[in-house]
Amino acid sequence: MTEKKQGGVSRQALILGGLAVVLLVLVILFFTGGIGEKVKRFVDAAVPKASDAAGGQAAAKTVTLFFLSDDDDFLHKETREIAAGPTDAEEAERALVELIKGSEKGFVSPLPPQTKVRQVFIGKDGLATVDFSRDITEKISYGSSSELAAVYAVVDTLAFNFKPVKKVVLLVEGAEKETLGGHVDLSRPFLPDYSLVAR
Amino acid sequence: MKISRIHRTARGAALAAALLVAAAVCPVSGDAAAGQDRRIQTMVIDPGHGGMETGAKGKFGNLEKDITLAISLKLKAIVERNMGFEVVLTRDKDVDVSIENRSAIANNRKAGLFISIHANGAVQKKAAGSETFFLSLNATDEETRRLAYLENNSSELQSRLDPSSDDDLMMILWDMAQTAYIKQSSRLAELVQEELDAMLGTRNRGIKQAPFKILTGVACPAILVEAAFISNPAEEQKLASADFQAKIAEAIYRGLARYLRVPE
Ligand SMILES: [Zn+2]
Repeated sequence: MTEKKQGGVSRQALILGGLAVVLLVLVILFFTGGIGEKVKRFVDAAVPKASDAAGGQAAAKTVTLFFLSDDDDFLHKETREIAAGPTDAEEAERALVELIKGSEKGFVSPLPPQTKVRQVFIGKDGLATVDFSRDITEKISYGSSSELAAVYAVVDTLAFNFKPVKKVVLLVEGAEKETLGGHVDLSRPFLPDYSLVAR
Repeated sequence: MKISRIHRTARGAALAAALLVAAAVCPVSGDAAAGQDRRIQTMVIDPGHGGMETGAKGKFGNLEKDITLAISLKLKAIVERNMGFEVVLTRDKDVDVSIENRSAIANNRKAGLFISIHANGAVQKKAAGSETFFLSLNATDEETRRLAYLENNSSELQSRLDPSSDDDLMMILWDMAQTAYIKQSSRLAELVQEELDAMLGTRNRGIKQAPFKILTGVACPAILVEAAFISNPAEEQKLASADFQAKIAEAIYRGLARYLRVPE
């Protein structure tokens, strides 16, 4: 009994020690990683923000969205301001909401306007998981071209604007789906593909 | 850590080798470069979509699923008339068939060729033309990169070695099996695209690669034909005509015939 307890105590000490190390690493990451990101965001936000100097407003971040044009088959970049922070995942969610909302310059969103972003999760392995409402599959009848455009507008928007994002998985209503509309395989993560983007 | 990885790779390689041997025994892999005919016993034609899943829709109400079925039935008739092998359709009426079941039909029937027929749809009304796809190798590239990355990342490696992650291994194996057919698929795509271009007078959008679900699960050379855009009103009206559908079928047949080196 005593022996067992002693074993328990030393295991506890080990766990506590481990936790301390993890905490230390997290603290270091928080400061070193955090500062770099803050500086970058500040620089990003400073340029286009100059005009709209509403005092005491939350920081903004400029993101690049990918839309279709009526005149060609490419994705076209359009910048947009979103509220900054606190996490990449929250910013990513706002960027996707803007992508769905559509263009301010006459481009077209490849996603149905009713689509809701249920959640964005960014893992530390660089895998971003985006969960859309079922509108993304039900409010449009995809052909191969429109389905590829929808998938890569999302993937490119996330990978282009958020450094930690290396690849993207799309879910619908919290579950894996075979495809959005019968064409593009959703079972594997997508890497960004900028070959679809106009120069 | 490194040893476990090698273990895993060796296991993968052994299984993959088994798959590749199986592929080599398969009658499809007669080497055309050596001047042999490519003899196949069964080919599968896959009319895209069906049932509740309509595919793309045209302004005049035409549905991709109906056009793909019409073209597929015509193609089946021409092939059966002119070639000595069995043609299996993944559906011959307006029903839902999951993509998984479509590739299962091809694999269970030991298909030597797989052609999926679609009509394209885009958000842009002006988008027009025909194109032929074969499987994108991106998935394989990604896996390679992932393995390289894992060599420097032990924590993720731990989770990868979890016995429950055998799915990943299966994926790698499928990729390797698919890779064996990529060259043949791209050749078939090229020939079919040339004939579509010659016969249809639609804009030539070329051959392309994409991660299409239907192409990932089929264990033989496989292409996906996108004949014109149902989302383009002018092309939709063409697609709805039996004449144009027959032309598409004929073009695919001619490309196929050149691929198989059967005299036309
Ligand atoms: Zn289709």
